[in-house]
Amino acid sequence: MLPTPSLRDALYGFGICIAALLVAAIFFWLLADLAWQGVGRLDWTFLTTPPRNAGRDGGLAPILVSTSLIILVAMSVAAPLGVATAIFLSEFTPAGGRLARWMSLSLDVLAGTPSIVFGLFGGAFFCVFLGLGFSILSGGLTLACMALPILIRTVESGLRSSPIEWRLGAAALDLSRATLLWHVLLPAAAPSLAAGLSLGIGRAVAETAALIFTSGYVDRMPSSLFDSGRALSVHIYDLTMNVSGGDANAYASALVLIAFLIAANSLAFWFSNRIFGRRMARA
Amino acid sequence: MSVSWFRGKDRCALASIGRICAVYIAFFSSSLGHAADNRLVLTGSSTVAPLAAEIGKRFEEQNPSIRVDVQSGGSSRGVADARSGLADLGMASRAPNADETDLQFFTIARDGVGIIVNTNNSVRSLTDEQIVAIYTGKIADWSKAGGAAGRITVVNKAEGRSTLELFLHYFKLKGGDVKAHVIIGENQQAIKTVAGNPGAIGYVSIGSAEYEAGHGAHIRLLPMSGVAASVENVRSGSFPLSRPLNLVSKGAPGAVARRFIDFARSRSVHDIVESQFFVPVAP
Repeated sequence: MLPTPSLRDALYGFGICIAALLVAAIFFWLLADLAWQGVGRLDWTFLTTPPRNAGRDGGLAPILVSTSLIILVAMSVAAPLGVATAIFLSEFTPAGGRLARWMSLSLDVLAGTPSIVFGLFGGAFFCVFLGLGFSILSGGLTLACMALPILIRTVESGLRSSPIEWRLGAAALDLSRATLLWHVLLPAAAPSLAAGLSLGIGRAVAETAALIFTSGYVDRMPSSLFDSGRALSVHIYDLTMNVSGGDANAYASALVLIAFLIAANSLAFWFSNRIFGRRMARA
Repeated sequence: MSVSWFRGKDRCALASIGRICAVYIAFFSSSLGHAADNRLVLTGSSTVAPLAAEIGKRFEEQNPSIRVDVQSGGSSRGVADARSGLADLGMASRAPNADETDLQFFTIARDGVGIIVNTNNSVRSLTDEQIVAIYTGKIADWSKAGGAAGRITVVNKAEGRSTLELFLHYFKLKGGDVKAHVIIGENQQAIKTVAGNPGAIGYVSIGSAEYEAGHGAHIRLLPMSGVAASVENVRSGSFPLSRPLNLVSKGAPGAVARRFIDFARSRSVHDIVESQFFVPVAP
């Protein structure tokens, strides 16, 4: 006997709600676990003092600075390159063309490449071949390579999804291609740029394998981009896996990492809105 | 149809791109300060790295003009980097191999490797033959090794780890002989795996294991050939399964490296060595 249509609807609705609740519950469980174990260590001095005794005591200050610099280098290299490549893919190549197909294939393969491969590549290319050594610059550039594919893909799909009428309208007004891009298409793609940046930042902040061989392990306050600087994720990895008695600080650091991620994502949204978003209203 | 790019009256896009470029140049040129010239780079064993980093900090305090950069990556990497000149000193948590006559090894501390089981395991000691039989899969149940019935979970270290090399060398095993159920990387991972599995057996640094067992982790260190697995017995040299923690130099070390080695072997760092759960070398 089949249930009545209304009962079936209710069952569907119930199932979907459960799925959504489950996803949220997993996130909150994780967060609660981190907060439960880490919040005791977390205070202002934790954020403003350097680590001591291999990270068991002391805080995170130099590690936060290094992490921010690494992300800043990565995103300031990846964003212009990524946006330009996305424009090339969506505006200058026909969708099914051979070049577009090859570009898409290489981007998809890059996006799925394990990060340790990027780490080995970054270590060999930036640190040794270009002579940058273990440095924040090497780490940032390696992360830029990692974040590029996902950034390009999201911005490209944002650009492609803008309505054809806008392009026709621009053609009717005899706008130059640069004007169309700058005043119409890029502002319209600003949300996808923000999404791409925050996905890229997420992948970059979470990165351990690619950074341990490039930006390195030194937990001193960096004084230039040529200094080695330990990233937050590398610090957490070292504390949990390599340092007896580092667990409490590892949990506190993980909590900071999540806060850092939220802050960096908000900043990415603010930034892409500021550069492109507001132009939409003006133009 | 030809598309003109930039028209006389519409240089807005160009100007914006120009502004962004100016910000970039400002960011990178301001942060490319000069890196310290008197820099000592150490790479290698993830076991030695936290110890060397702490010794490095104290060395920097006493020699403000020198910077000690410690990088992780494993003993094999430490030896390779010392050989290639990428690092001034390598770190290796093992004795020199026969083919490493071109390198000089300086022991800064000792570390003992002990067999651990879960505290719920009734087995109090195992002979070397029993351990070999367990690790080669010939004994698969604790009832055949003097314990209560239950499957044995063999925890082994990943390839390239110096604890694995030490373990295999002592028991005269080859890497392929070991039938492992769980393969892990670092000491902490082994301790967590064994603490969470009543049937598990693993091997880890005695310093770490003694600390974790003393802080409530559900692990027990087993004696080897009748000698208790304790820091005391590693120091005295009576514990059979122990290893040196070495700094590695290609040929004679340079002046700064020499001073660092002497400092790392001196009495003034004994407290650091002990706080990292290793055993200081004489005197």
